[in-house]
Amino acid sequence: MHIMEGFLPVTHAIGWSAASAPFVAYGLYTINKRIREKPEQRMLLGVAAAFTFVLSALKLPSVTGSCSHPTGTGLGAILFGPAAMAPIGLVVLLFQAILLAHGGLTTLGANIFSMAVVGPFAAAAIYRLAKAAKLPFGPSIFLAASLADLLTYITTSAQLAFAFPDPAGGFAASFAKFATVFAITQIPLAISEGLLTVVVMNALARFNAPELQDMNVTTVLEVKI
Amino acid sequence: MLTEQSAYANRWRRVSPVAKGLFSLCGMVAAFAAGSPRAALLAACILAAATVLGAGVAITHYLRVAAPPLLFLAASTLSLLVSLDFGTPQTGVSLHLAGAEFLQTALVCSRSLACLSALLFLALTTPLSDIISLLRRCRIPETLLDLMTLCYRTLFVLSEAVHDTMTAQSARLGYTTLTVSMRSLGSLISNLIVQVWQRSLALHSAAQARNNDGALRFLENSYANSRLSISIAVGSGCLMVALTIMLP
Repeated sequence: MHIMEGFLPVTHAIGWSAASAPFVAYGLYTINKRIREKPEQRMLLGVAAAFTFVLSALKLPSVTGSCSHPTGTGLGAILFGPAAMAPIGLVVLLFQAILLAHGGLTTLGANIFSMAVVGPFAAAAIYRLAKAAKLPFGPSIFLAASLADLLTYITTSAQLAFAFPDPAGGFAASFAKFATVFAITQIPLAISEGLLTVVVMNALARFNAPELQDMNVTTVLEVKI
Repeated sequence: MLTEQSAYANRWRRVSPVAKGLFSLCGMVAAFAAGSPRAALLAACILAAATVLGAGVAITHYLRVAAPPLLFLAASTLSLLVSLDFGTPQTGVSLHLAGAEFLQTALVCSRSLACLSALLFLALTTPLSDIISLLRRCRIPETLLDLMTLCYRTLFVLSEAVHDTMTAQSARLGYTTLTVSMRSLGSLISNLIVQVWQRSLALHSAAQARNNDGALRFLENSYANSRLSISIAVGSGCLMVALTIMLP
């Protein structure tokens, strides 16, 4: 869920950019390390950015009939690692702002923080937790993708509430307001994206097991199922 | 993509991207410097006029690109206008129009409009490849620029693959019901992921065959009278900022 161009006050725009910068810098550091070890990863991550951009142009069938697009944060974090998703997210969000007028340049920092930092790190953490709890492959992927989407949407609502606290009810009321307005599209989107990610990962596990193993996503045992 | 069509076919295509970038930056500064909704709207009008009248972007084209963010702005503004009061246990939760905050909301909305106009000015007059060259001059890390270059050059290839796959799936009764749609979309995306791997390996082999040693560099366009256009852009941009500050 993007915050639109110019919507945040200048102090918030700068603050969120400063908050996202270390994650992007760390992401670039890990990408450089990966490229030194495996030079072919440079092309893979570049094409992965294009893939994430193209995903946002697809229409996601939603359970309530409202139409939205997949964000790909959970899928990307599981496939390419959460740290790499911060720079990839920056590129995708910049392209969405310039090519689709979706999001913006002044709100790039805030959008990176919610969609390329919180979402992917949450997805990776939930996926690891689910694996540690020995949950089956499908539910682990569903939880990681849908909760990452929900956390992204909660972060964006909190960012907006922080910038525009309600005159009567303060931050809590403002958060409740933004969260309710966006819940209409975001909760069905999270469920749909969770289901879609399971379908995608199952198809990959069935037909492209070697690629998934290369990315350390699944073990041999899971792929056999 | 609508923005790409205008970016390559506008009157200011051959104007230095530095000049257009600086004018757009001035637009954003003007939006944040504006003290009243009227001043921010003035900046929005100047930027939109520069795009439509100056660069010759068709008004219908402009409105089609601007429509989705404008709808989004309307939804966000509506949520700012409504105030939620948790109240006491006796009075309960109440929802009312935030009358006192009306001016503040109008300022946020008009500032957002001005910033959107500045973004659209840049997006509709400057191709992304020029913007990437501009970022290279700003000393953005090379890895990030490589990601951008690769992303830009492959997103159209992947978009075409998506279009072709969807056509093939639809011809075979894909996307007919909700469940089938989910399955069709799932197989489309998983197929696309495999293509991402295969295409990236092919690109790597191609780059190695051409002695690629790291950064991906392309020839940059040269622009005539770039100093003059930069001076005009900065001069008019500063004038716009001054106007928005002075307007009550």
